[in-house]
Amino acid sequence: MSRLLNIPTSKPNCGLVWVAFVLLGISALNAQAKIVLTVPQQVSLSANFFTQQLTIFWFGGEATTFDVIILRTEFNETVFYNTVPAVVNQDGGRHQWTWTSVEPLECTSLSVKICSRDGMTKSEWSEPQILKGRDLPSNSDHQVYPQDKVVPVGGNTTFCCIVEEGKEFRDLLYGSIEMNVKRLSRRSYAATAVYQNLSGTTGTNVLCRLRDKLAGSVIFVGYPPQPTNFECLTYDLTSAVCYWDTGRATNLYGKRKTSYSINKRVCPDRTCVLPQWDGNWTLVAVNPLGQYSLTYSAELLHRVVPVAPDKLADAAQAWNATVHWQWPYSSYSTLALVCQVQLASRNILLRNFSGVGVRSVFLPHLHPNTKYSVRVRCGSLNHFLKWGNWSKEFNFTTKSYAPEAPDVWMWVNRDNSVRVMWKPLTQWQSHGVLTGYEVTLWNLEGNEKQTNNLSPKNNSLNLTHWASITGDKKAIASVKAKNVKGTSKPSSIMLGSIDDKSAPLAQTIYTSSGFPLSWQHSDNRSCSYLVEWCEAVCTSDCAVDWIRLDTGSSHVSIKDSIVKFQPGVRYNFSLYECPSVSPVLIQRWQGYIQELPPSISVNLEINQQDCDVVLSWEEIPLAGRRGFLLGYKVYKVNNFSNFTLLDDLSPEVRTYTVKDLYTSTYKFTVKAYTSAGEDTGGTAAITLKQCADGLILEILTALGIVTLLLTTVSCFCYKKRRWVKKAFYPDIPEPKLPGDWSRTQGPLDVKPFPHSMVHIIEKPERDFSKDTLVIIPEEEDYEGEGIGDEPVDTDEPQLLRYYNQVVDERPIRPRFPDSSVSSSSSVDSANTDVTYTGIQTSHSSLVFPSDSQGFSEGFQPHSGLSLSSGNTGEGYHPQMHSVALGGNLASPGPIVEPHAVGSGGYKPQNSWLLDSPTEGDENSPAPSLGSPTSVASTQFLLPDRERHEEKRQQPPSAANWFTNLLSSAKP
Amino acid sequence: MGGVMTVKRSTVAKVADLAALVQHECTDVLIQYRNQENLPNDMGSDRLVFVSPPSSQLDIRSKLQSLHSGLDKCYSLLERAIALEKMELDRDQMSEYKNGRRRLKEELLNLLKSTEELLKAAGGKPVRNQDDLEPYHPNNVFHLKLWVYSVYIEVKLWSKTAFTVMKELQSAKEPLKRGKRSTRRTLQ
Repeated sequence: MSRLLNIPTSKPNCGLVWVAFVLLGISALNAQAKIVLTVPQQVSLSANFFTQQLTIFWFGGEATTFDVIILRTEFNETVFYNTVPAVVNQDGGRHQWTWTSVEPLECTSLSVKICSRDGMTKSEWSEPQILKGRDLPSNSDHQVYPQDKVVPVGGNTTFCCIVEEGKEFRDLLYGSIEMNVKRLSRRSYAATAVYQNLSGTTGTNVLCRLRDKLAGSVIFVGYPPQPTNFECLTYDLTSAVCYWDTGRATNLYGKRKTSYSINKRVCPDRTCVLPQWDGNWTLVAVNPLGQYSLTYSAELLHRVVPVAPDKLADAAQAWNATVHWQWPYSSYSTLALVCQVQLASRNILLRNFSGVGVRSVFLPHLHPNTKYSVRVRCGSLNHFLKWGNWSKEFNFTTKSYAPEAPDVWMWVNRDNSVRVMWKPLTQWQSHGVLTGYEVTLWNLEGNEKQTNNLSPKNNSLNLTHWASITGDKKAIASVKAKNVKGTSKPSSIMLGSIDDKSAPLAQTIYTSSGFPLSWQHSDNRSCSYLVEWCEAVCTSDCAVDWIRLDTGSSHVSIKDSIVKFQPGVRYNFSLYECPSVSPVLIQRWQGYIQELPPSISVNLEINQQDCDVVLSWEEIPLAGRRGFLLGYKVYKVNNFSNFTLLDDLSPEVRTYTVKDLYTSTYKFTVKAYTSAGEDTGGTAAITLKQCADGLILEILTALGIVTLLLTTVSCFCYKKRRWVKKAFYPDIPEPKLPGDWSRTQGPLDVKPFPHSMVHIIEKPERDFSKDTLVIIPEEEDYEGEGIGDEPVDTDEPQLLRYYNQVVDERPIRPRFPDSSVSSSSSVDSANTDVTYTGIQTSHSSLVFPSDSQGFSEGFQPHSGLSLSSGNTGEGYHPQMHSVALGGNLASPGPIVEPHAVGSGGYKPQNSWLLDSPTEGDENSPAPSLGSPTSVASTQFLLPDRERHEEKRQQPPSAANWFTNLLSSAKP
Repeated sequence: MGGVMTVKRSTVAKVADLAALVQHECTDVLIQYRNQENLPNDMGSDRLVFVSPPSSQLDIRSKLQSLHSGLDKCYSLLERAIALEKMELDRDQMSEYKNGRRRLKEELLNLLKSTEELLKAAGGKPVRNQDDLEPYHPNNVFHLKLWVYSVYIEVKLWSKTAFTVMKELQSAKEPLKRGKRSTRRTLQ
């Protein structure tokens, strides 16, 4: 440098060079100073575990910014890395910076390193400083952090659990909710509760559970204090009493509850007494979550609230009283006050009094002999803030006085005797203890006077012994009440009978406000009214009550009083005009507070009148009606106690006639009913005797109907005889004999073959028609055309039905195989399509059961002597039968029913005649029996048999008559 | 002048009933406490009363002595527990738990006094617990809660022990002797 300075140049130029060199040198030195930053020295840590804050101290040279890195030592995880401004302490130039950890600082060890930074240039890192956690092996306990922390609602809190050395972590619970954990170190686990809600009153437990061990912490979540309505006032004009509301509940209790102070004087909750009136006050409320301040300023006389008056006393008269009291503070003697007196007896009255230092009040308009309760409170008259407290209640009683006049009325008994009544004086009216009543009776005409002194318990006097007032004579009764202080004014009433019939009577319906009574008031009436009421069934010494009404009244509602209203009891209400002078009954009402079904049933009488039944009953007594009768219901009692309503009668009707009854036993019930329902009813029964008129009429009617019917049928049949004949008795077709037959045309001359000849043994005493048999050759082709399709003779349905069965069953099962042998010879020989149906009479068919086996078996014993010989295969032998039947009848077989036997059994033998293809002789006994005919023609045969029998034994029946009619109608 | 003072069996029976009542009340309080604090049902407890339980090998007086010591310690613990709870956590309002806790304390005191009477009748002398001089101070609220829970467990255990001892006394034939008194007290 010296050489440079020695360069032989011009002098000014050398100077400039020197300056340039110096500047360059300075510049170079500055550049070198910027590049080399000082590493922070003497780094130290200070931890506040409660606030979870870590303060780092160091000496850092000239640098103003530093990089700070915080790592979890064990896992070497970065918790924080940032450039921070550093505050330089005035004492010695030490830097410090504070970091708040999310996790409690106890959770695990933290390493802190710092370097100086200048723009993009930074120094080397300082040596790491370690804040030891509680998870070091030297501390092997099971722990949870933070402990007993208090946080505001809505905040987040991170908890960590340090597991006991050698144990296994299980879970971390916030209350009963398991949290998501993050592992901070080998033994430390952390979890964060977010948006925390209010904790329980004893905090919320945070539990860290191992397999067999439990550790925990309690966190309190609440609010900072926020008191309101802070004010101060004075009672004694010296001290200050301040009040406030605590505001929202902080949810923090015990040690953590809010503490209060006023002007740095510790106060309890809500109120604080300060010995002097400062004029300005500051309330400070503090809890772990914060503090809140309120101020208040006021002048003394503007904040006066008098205390409660003390030591009340009275000076009472009958109608007024004076109440005195004392003040505990002498300063009140100059204070303008307004006082309120509450006076309570029958009702509560409030009266205000004002004045300077008020100490007594005069209470007028009181009532004699009445207990009053009084209490007093006062306020500042000039700057009324609010009423002071009420004094203690003070009781006093006014003095007695002469009683009020009683309310007098009279009651006319059923025997027209009069009872003077008065309402017992209430305590309010008696003005003292009653000693009795004085009743004076004054006969106006006889100028008689009689005085009765009665005890205070009496409230009526019967005038039965004072006959002179009965009738039209008038008398006056005066009643006076007496107590120790004197006698009341007299209360008088004019006595006499009252016409109670002319007044209109109406019904009144009870409502919640009582029995409503209303009447027409005319303006020309100047008298007052009186309404009297009592039970309707009362006869003597009735409980009577009354009410007096002013002139012009037109309605009143009567409620319970002396007369206690009962359901089902009728009450009479009477409205009197001018009750004190000359009572006139102007209207009457009757009513029930609640109607009930009648309690008494009618006494029912029942009588027969010709073919009718007359029911009659008496009226139900008033006491048993229990309501307004709406009518009577007449029931007929059927079987099983069923009721049939016959009629609903009005309440005035008390008889009822039941008409058009047949001879039988009848039971009737009559039930009276009110709006509440029916009574149980009166019941009576009657057994009707034969009523002659009805019987004759019935017989005549029946005969007339029968006659008319017969006539109609006869006429019809006669008019339609052709149709009837065709329908019921069609012409029998002639038998057609195929092949070579002895007789080609004309009537069939059937002569019995010798082997089938029936020998008829005449036995007059026996009906041969029952005992003989006719062999009937069967033609199966005919049987297919059974008579089922034919019209059925309704006169003998059973006969026809059975016949049909015979016809139907035969083809299926030959019933007489043996007989077929004999008959077949004739049939075969003749080879005709004929059927001998005479064997199938109704009577014979009744003998045998339809069952073929039964029939066969049943038949054999019956015809055993002849037909049962069919065992030999010979079959049916009517010849033998005719002989045997005589003996058979003598000893009836067990199967044959007696009536069947009696009815005839087989009869064709008796009618075995020469058949003819045409109608036989009308007079022949059985023109068709045994004749060859179709199945359908069997209908034709029956009437003849009947007619034949008719001649011998039967009276003509309707059926026979009809059959004859048809027969006679044949062309 | 050794003598025997008689004690009616009905008296012992009443003490047994009282022990049963304390046990029942303590069970209720434990349930309420566990519910209130949301504590797990399987939570264990620490032993706080270090008094040898009255074994069947002991005579009646020794049994009563042991029982009285245990109950006395329980009562001290319960008093302390209530005081700590009031200080740390209590709010002014009454609750079912607090009512039950108050009744439990009263009934436990009755049981303690009744047991003391029986002990005196048996010639024993009540011994005051010395460890009350250093009352428990919780490190934190959770420790307090666990400790209170352990107190209730101890009360329940010792009330049950009292009931058992009283039942044994009721069936015992050995008279309740009072050491040097001339009067006699026996179980009748």
